[in-house]
Amino acid sequence: MTDNVYSTICPGCNFGCGLYIRENGALEVDFRKSSPANAGKLCRFGMSLPKIFAPIRPMVDGKETTLEEAAKEAAKRISASKGSVGFLSLGNTTSEELLAIQKIAESSLYTGMVAGLPEDTYQTLNIGIPYSEIEAAKHIVLFMDPYEQYPLIVRRLLFAKNKGAKISAVWWKDLPLADENIRPLDVSKLALSKDSLIIADYNPLSDTEQVKSVLALAKNAGARITFLKPFANSTGAYLMAKGIKQKSISQLVEDINNGAIKTLFCLESDPSALFPSETLAKLSNLIIQAGQQPSSKANIVIANEPLYKKKGTLINNEGRAQSLGCAGTDGLDALGIIAGAKFDFDTLNESVKKAIGITTVDEFTIPKYDRPAYGAIQASIKSLDTKTALVSVYNPFMWSGLADDNDFVELNQRSVQALKLMKGATVKISSNGSAIEKKFRVAPVQDNILLAGKRFGIEKGIITPVELSR
Amino acid sequence: MQKGEMYVGWSTKEEVRKRGGSGGLVTSMLAAALEKKLVDAVVVLKKINEFEAVPIITSDVNEVLNSAGSLHSVPSHFAKLIANRNLKVALPAKGCDVRGIIEQGKRNAINLDNTFIVGLNCGGSMHPVVTREMLEVMYKIKPEDVHGEEIEKGKLIFETKDGKEHAITIDELEEKGFGRRESCRYCTIKVPNNSDIACGNWGVTGDLVGKATFVEINSEKGAKLLQNAIDAGYVQVQKPDDKGIAMRGKIKGVMEELGKKWKGKIFVPIETGRLEYFRKELEHCIDCGACKTVCPTCSCGDISKCTQYHSRGDAYKMSMYHLVRFLHLADACIGCGQCSDVCPVDIPLTRLYRRFANPVQEQLKYEPGMDMQKPPYFEVKLNE
Ligand SMILES: Cc1cc2nc3c(=O)[nH]c(=O)nc-3n(C[C@H](O)[C@H](O)[C@H](O)COP(=O)(O)OP(=O)(O)OC[C@H]3O[C@@H](n4cnc5c(N)ncnc54)[C@H](O)[C@@H]3O)c2cc1C
Ligand code: SF4
Ligand code: SF4
Ligand code: SF4
Ligand code: SF4
Repeated sequence: MTDNVYSTICPGCNFGCGLYIRENGALEVDFRKSSPANAGKLCRFGMSLPKIFAPIRPMVDGKETTLEEAAKEAAKRISASKGSVGFLSLGNTTSEELLAIQKIAESSLYTGMVAGLPEDTYQTLNIGIPYSEIEAAKHIVLFMDPYEQYPLIVRRLLFAKNKGAKISAVWWKDLPLADENIRPLDVSKLALSKDSLIIADYNPLSDTEQVKSVLALAKNAGARITFLKPFANSTGAYLMAKGIKQKSISQLVEDINNGAIKTLFCLESDPSALFPSETLAKLSNLIIQAGQQPSSKANIVIANEPLYKKKGTLINNEGRAQSLGCAGTDGLDALGIIAGAKFDFDTLNESVKKAIGITTVDEFTIPKYDRPAYGAIQASIKSLDTKTALVSVYNPFMWSGLADDNDFVELNQRSVQALKLMKGATVKISSNGSAIEKKFRVAPVQDNILLAGKRFGIEKGIITPVELSR
Repeated sequence: MQKGEMYVGWSTKEEVRKRGGSGGLVTSMLAAALEKKLVDAVVVLKKINEFEAVPIITSDVNEVLNSAGSLHSVPSHFAKLIANRNLKVALPAKGCDVRGIIEQGKRNAINLDNTFIVGLNCGGSMHPVVTREMLEVMYKIKPEDVHGEEIEKGKLIFETKDGKEHAITIDELEEKGFGRRESCRYCTIKVPNNSDIACGNWGVTGDLVGKATFVEINSEKGAKLLQNAIDAGYVQVQKPDDKGIAMRGKIKGVMEELGKKWKGKIFVPIETGRLEYFRKELEHCIDCGACKTVCPTCSCGDISKCTQYHSRGDAYKMSMYHLVRFLHLADACIGCGQCSDVCPVDIPLTRLYRRFANPVQEQLKYEPGMDMQKPPYFEVKLNE
């Protein structure tokens, strides 16, 4: 008897939190205190990993099969629907697998990139600065909720604050760590300087105009800007696909809706977190290759090993390359069956290192990256074209389709009084004919805004116009 | 051999003796227990580098032999690891490990009759991330160049691969915010007499310094462990000299006094605004639950009072989760520092829990994990 303990990285977001997973009948999380990104600390999602890594089985049309048979059947259907196949990969797996899927996808690769952004901003959007630089900043401006979206950044922000940094939050609700809280629609009140560091969220559902406007703010003030991203290897996904033709999620939705894409192959990416079920229903074949249970119903599930058993390289928000501590390559093997060729891990691993400009993967040394300035950006701040809105605050649970214990909305005291809501009761939220009732939590949120860390099924993107009643 | 006896001993395996923290006796005793079937499994740290090791439960004697050596920058905790597994097991244990194991025993999550606890004297452990930074900032050496480390005469000494030694006093390091974890500074258990056998380097004298382990037998199980290792030919022992015994007692006393000083320094009474103090400290809590998962004296599963009374939808100034835990741990907290270590928003949780636990445990004259005394809160009698 020797415990099976795996040194791995949390797939919840691109923060790069190290941990151990212990297989001891049930799975357990153990803290890897020497891990450089997180000192072993984990957020709610990291602590829930044993649930996420519940075993999954390979399936074809609802029948259980082997991994190999599932991959072979997928290969058959992909070649039968040539010309109308899309490949989706958001970056929730190793850089080696991401290189492999590029070879298969050729020109129909859909990634987490957001359409309509100037090319000279790509590097800034995708490669963040080291967390130590955040700790050393003098003025930090948040365009996100760190507690909810990227919890491990909170301690870095508090560290900076203890050293005298001022923290401004441009957000829908007051954040306890902020010295100054500005509402997104009042962003003109924000004073920036060369000492300011903007931290924003960049994800596949980000609004193009919103991203442009923060980029423009930084540019005009000469401030620094860095983005945090979901998915364990978003930064790696960008670096591996640099210069490769790729399409955005909005393009994918359009392509499925107009019938150009009929078969969708998803590599460690759960489409139901990204687009409406009506869109998914239009596909004739949904093929998901994953190591964790997808929340979408797929025609074929190619169940490879979970991330914690894989071998390969992940690159976090800071650009830090980290090796997964295990030996599994069955994901690559399955991709090989689909490609009709064998992928050699070592060859791909060499290409990964070359792409980052390193010879060995050392988690304690962040490689040097170019941080080119980007040109002037035209941006306008959009006003909300609705009186009341539900804002979905995307967090790791939402991206992975896992339920969290947060089946409620947040709204402020004034709204509770105006609506005459009863303590412990619910608020009725209607949108476009559909209505739901939800418990609520009183929080210092902007008037007429509801915040939710969960998808309720009535959403139309990140901001949904709604009406409220008792 | 019996309770109360002291020895100085070492491993008969040259390689283990060389690599061992002081004489490789602990490693050899654990290996012998496994080999002679005194136990079915052993817990050891599998070393990854000077600053990282992962605890494993193993039945492989070689894995045990490979684990020799003390890792001061690996603040792990073993109680929860062996809880609810019904193992016949032997394991090394710092004072806080021993205390956690005993508390789990009181809650029927560990069968203490089947658990052989090899106590390690403990002057303190350090957080690996803090150690790395300390090496760069204070010692001006690269963590990767470190080859070994030891504590001698109040100094923390790192040996680099080029054979050089770099020493700085622990006082100076701690003044600058480095050094031992905060809880270790005021920890009261320096020689774990609550274990089956207490092992350390304090009390080893003359030529044997660095090459032998000083042991004190605390129980029948402890005697059995040591005798078994001697019989198996893994370990050799001799009687310690009086000078060594006196020295060990003296250092223990000095360390305990130092601990008391730290305790006074850290726990300055809060005269006013107590509630506000706790509310402020907990303000950034993200409700991850890690502090409960890691706590070695908590034996509740998923369903527990602190989680049942708490809802994420509540908007209380201080969550019921924390309120229940402060009360619940007032008699149980052993001050191991694990909760502070794992808190993702760096709340100094151990300090907060100790603010409740210090007065309660003093008043009730109860020190959890030191012996089998029943937790006072198990016995609360309600008036008619
Ligand atoms: C953090 C720490 C602080 C210590 N401080 C003192 C001190 O101030 N005074 C003193 O007399 N002795 C101290 N010791 C004990 C001493 O270093 C030796 O471990 C002891 O003398 C036994 O030596 P050995 O050669 O027989 O042990 P070894 O044969 O080297 O066996 C050591 C065993 O301890 C385990 N171990 C190593 N590091 C840890 C850890 N961090 N936590 C839990 N288990 C671990 C190993 O897995 C191994 O099983 C300390 C030990 C530790 C781990
Ligand atoms: S979800 Fe992100 S912040 Fe949370 S533990 Fe995982 S990687 Fe870290
Ligand atoms: S809490 Fe005490 S026994 Fe535990 S590591 Fe710190 S000093 Fe050692
Ligand atoms: S409350 Fe914290 S310090 Fe106290 S026993 Fe639990 S983990 Fe250790
Ligand atoms: S570990 Fe910290 S953040 Fe997590 S529940 Fe405990 S106090 Fe809150």
